[in-house]
Amino acid sequence: MGSNVRKVLKESQKKKSVKSGNRKWASPLAFQILFIAFFVFLAWYFLYTRNADTMFFMQDRGWWNSTSLFFKDCTEVPGGLLSWAGAYLTQFFYYPALGTVMLITLWLITFLVAKFSFKVPNEWSFLIFVPLVALLCSEIQLGYWVYILKDIDYVFYHSLGLLAALLLSLPFWNLLPLGDKAKQWISLAWIPLVAALFYYPLGIYALLAAVLVTIRTIHSLKEGAGRVLLLAFTLWLVPLLETAGTTLMRPDQPWTYGFRFFALDNLRDCSLEIPFYLVLIAPIFFPFLKQIKTKKLWQSQGIMVLVALAMLFCLSKRDFTDYNFHAELRMQRAVEECRWNDVLREAAMVKGPVTREMVMFRDIALINRGEFCAKRYMYNNESIPPVAVSDSIHVRICDQAGDLIYYNYGETIFGIRRAIERCMHYGYSYYTLRVLTQCAIVNGEKDNARKYLRLLSRTTFQKKWAEKMQRFVDDEKLLPTDEHFRMPLKLYNEGSELVGVDDKYVELTIMKKWMYDLTLDPEAQEVALGCAMIMRDQRCFWSQVQQWYNINPGKHFPIHVQEAMLFGVYELKMEGINLSFVKFDQRVVDRYKAFFERLNQYSSQGMNEKQIGAALRPEFGDTYMWDYYVLREVQTN
Amino acid sequence: MTEHYIHKRPSSITPSKWMCGVFFLLLLAACSKHPSLPSSFTQVNEQPRIYPDYVGVTIPPNIAPLNFLVDSVDDIIGEFKFQDSKLTFGGKANKVQIDEREWKELLASARGNSLSVTVYAKKQGKWFAYKPFPIDVAEEEIDPYISFRVLPPTFVGFENLTLMQRNLTNFEETTIYDKRQISSGIEGQCVNCHSYQNYGTSNMMFHMRLQHAGTMIVSDGQLVFVNLKDESMISAAAYNSWHPFLPIIAFSTDHTMQTFHTREISKVEVMESASDIIIYDVKNNRVQTVLNDSLELELFPSWSPDGKWLYYCSAYYEYQKGYEDTDELLQNYKQLQYNLYRLSFDAKTMAFGEPELVYDARSKNRSAVQPRVSQDGRYVLFAEGPNGLFHIWHTSAEALILDLETGELLDTKAMNSPLPESYPSWSSNDRWILIESRRDDGNYTRTYFAYFDKQGKVHKAFEVPAEDPEYFRLLLKSWSRPEFMKEPVRITPRQFYEKALTEPIKVSN
Repeated sequence: MGSNVRKVLKESQKKKSVKSGNRKWASPLAFQILFIAFFVFLAWYFLYTRNADTMFFMQDRGWWNSTSLFFKDCTEVPGGLLSWAGAYLTQFFYYPALGTVMLITLWLITFLVAKFSFKVPNEWSFLIFVPLVALLCSEIQLGYWVYILKDIDYVFYHSLGLLAALLLSLPFWNLLPLGDKAKQWISLAWIPLVAALFYYPLGIYALLAAVLVTIRTIHSLKEGAGRVLLLAFTLWLVPLLETAGTTLMRPDQPWTYGFRFFALDNLRDCSLEIPFYLVLIAPIFFPFLKQIKTKKLWQSQGIMVLVALAMLFCLSKRDFTDYNFHAELRMQRAVEECRWNDVLREAAMVKGPVTREMVMFRDIALINRGEFCAKRYMYNNESIPPVAVSDSIHVRICDQAGDLIYYNYGETIFGIRRAIERCMHYGYSYYTLRVLTQCAIVNGEKDNARKYLRLLSRTTFQKKWAEKMQRFVDDEKLLPTDEHFRMPLKLYNEGSELVGVDDKYVELTIMKKWMYDLTLDPEAQEVALGCAMIMRDQRCFWSQVQQWYNINPGKHFPIHVQEAMLFGVYELKMEGINLSFVKFDQRVVDRYKAFFERLNQYSSQGMNEKQIGAALRPEFGDTYMWDYYVLREVQTN
Repeated sequence: MTEHYIHKRPSSITPSKWMCGVFFLLLLAACSKHPSLPSSFTQVNEQPRIYPDYVGVTIPPNIAPLNFLVDSVDDIIGEFKFQDSKLTFGGKANKVQIDEREWKELLASARGNSLSVTVYAKKQGKWFAYKPFPIDVAEEEIDPYISFRVLPPTFVGFENLTLMQRNLTNFEETTIYDKRQISSGIEGQCVNCHSYQNYGTSNMMFHMRLQHAGTMIVSDGQLVFVNLKDESMISAAAYNSWHPFLPIIAFSTDHTMQTFHTREISKVEVMESASDIIIYDVKNNRVQTVLNDSLELELFPSWSPDGKWLYYCSAYYEYQKGYEDTDELLQNYKQLQYNLYRLSFDAKTMAFGEPELVYDARSKNRSAVQPRVSQDGRYVLFAEGPNGLFHIWHTSAEALILDLETGELLDTKAMNSPLPESYPSWSSNDRWILIESRRDDGNYTRTYFAYFDKQGKVHKAFEVPAEDPEYFRLLLKSWSRPEFMKEPVRITPRQFYEKALTEPIKVSN
């Protein structure tokens, strides 16, 4: 059957080459190259241009180190070698462009292996890209799932698995100096062998290899039935045998190890699993591509254009484009790297409502620049919850970067608590070890910091960071001189010792704690004062105002504090407050008066609160009064 | 004792593992076993700083090789000498990894004597020889197994938790139960309070919490799954102790809670807002209340080895509002300080006597918990901290020994450290003390052993040996709540898993 088909294909190719001989640009080869270029463009565009921040984030929440303990941990479950290799390669997204080039190269190698091993004709080779585009789709579709992915190897795991399956299905027996019968027996034996030998390193992709070997070696119906039967037996038995007694996995799921399920407790998002079904199913059709009879070249080219459009459509649809999601990722990285101007620039660029995590990142930048009470309300504080890719996950700050936020407010013990808790569920990561290290250094837990630094120094791209931090472990006098530690250390030292729980509410816990802290340090005190303003607690606010005055005698209060004082006395009618000692800026007083004049004017026109808020926003959206009056139902997550 | 390993992790020898094994053997064959000592070196007049710290420790004659490393050197060789025998190991970067068979022979010949260890280290191309240090080999063996929980130093979540057992005579580590078999969700399943009757595993138990909650009890080798909670109890049974020869288990039942510090390095406080003590008759599936004084918080029951006394700890606390107010307790957590008590027990009538104060920790502004009585009945080993019951989080916590004959505390400095020690217990021959400690880095719990000689002297504690001496430095998990065992657990993880899927039997009273 095979040789007949080959003859027909060769003849048809000859005809085509004659037909298109005088217009090479339209030859199947040219269209194949065009499609490869199209795929490379798509991959680069979606991975790097649109999702560089996400890809960096995914590597940062990954984990790989060069120790044998890590290798052992990875290889304890089926697919372990893929996991280890995937985690290793994921590191390279530390430089998103480099990681993107590596991933695209891997996909192109996969394409070439599939094309040449299955002898796919040029005019139909674009179909090999179906599982590769599915893999590309799997990288960009996750949205907030990136925070709760347990896979440290997600980015490369399935790409490596597919390539491994294709390589293992190569008909190596044809190269052996043996007779046809012997070769047939070897190819038959290879079906169970490839599954048995490689199930532990490759998981479900070893089973895919067995399927591909079977399909590749079926030459007749009679022989084919026997091979399919052997395959079915192999697929059923090998996972059962190889996982018998293993305690690291669910005994009821031996056949799916290596497949990606998007399940969290009782919730499941099957739509995110579609690409992985495609990755497993599409290659099964590769051996049949060479048998497609092409009568006219434009037919395949037409289909190719349709497939290209479909791919573009799917990728555009599945790309998670929520602005706040990407802004959060960028702001988190900027906060970690103490790039306060970048955090504030990001905060200023947002057009719509922001997430509470963005608000907290921005506040951290303001605190570090000493502008918490002077500029906080000049930024947008109107908040919305994070928009998840599906309703299946409820995004909490504590699961996102709660530990980093706690650290920056000097609450290192709560930071450690949240970091460890997240590790328990989602595993350790470079990010977590960095946060844990910084918390340990501020706490004075040097041996603990050394432990984390020892591990980070065994990674590929965190070594420099570990070396830098080692200096702070060796000489704690350097801490106040470094931007990573200056403010967290100050807030740690100035904050009070209490006992309590956060109930997963990071923002509320910080605000409620800090608004009561009376400190003599001007910078820490401004944080306390700012928190009292955010919480709108008048008792705490006036206590902090008094404290501010005590430690900054003769100075002008920050603008927002002046606004809040006027608002408290004249609008909220706080009694017993003497403002005679306060030097108000005339502009603040004028705007305060104008705000309420305009408010009363709109109110008398019969506008409701929402309409009044919107009308006041262009002129007064940067004031404490507007924030207090309009943003009444702020809900933190 | 059996050397038969019932299940390994993972237990099946797969073809792919065979491939790895063959490769590994070839690699081993290529390595030289005994490095030669450097021909020239500079003598250093100090002992080396090795990790784990085995300098001057006393070890059992059946312990696994004490592999160690030295930081900031390029190469090291350890020379172990006893009388005319000399063995050298190392020569592979900064680690000394000792051949198991030769180590066993060395310890067998040095039993009751002392080994001398000289460390040679190469730095920047030059060899240095450190002052030799002794390792004393005791006459008495240690129980060959311990079991423990392996988990990140977590506070609430239990996603990643395994109950393991370790053969102390080698490096074999196997799984008793892994909750990942049954649950992968965020709520997960907590596995805790594993305990054994008389160091054996024919009668043993552990609890499962949250998903598939219940208590796994192995009774005369038979597995039963019990729901140890009825309307007379304030909660499901928790901390426990098997009677040394009767089929009964003493439990505390409690309302547990925790709160977090914002600055104290202790990080977390665990409290029981109410607690009682009951006993459970395994054969008849019945519970009986032993102590339920509303003004006393009784915890950690522990039978004396003769079965005539039930030791426990208790804290007096009177709620201001007259009812169990957890907010009030949170604010007063420092007031929760436990003393050690005991009750006499008549095995014939199953009757208990009146509480007797054994050790008044509260008068010293301390809190004593987790009592364990030595086999000879003379000593009580316990953990003491500033307050509360979870001393592994208290930096000042230490393991103490009370001599019941003299009423005096023994000097236990040698086995304690400036960082937390907790959960101490005796080996079945009283000569070895097992403690959990955070002395390595303050956060990750590790298992330590200390020799307790016949004169009542406590010797320097040493960390459980690891095949790779760097293992505990790299491990981002704690070894929590270790217990001695004379034999491995025979029930397989799969059997526990299958049992956990069944409905637990309800107790009666």
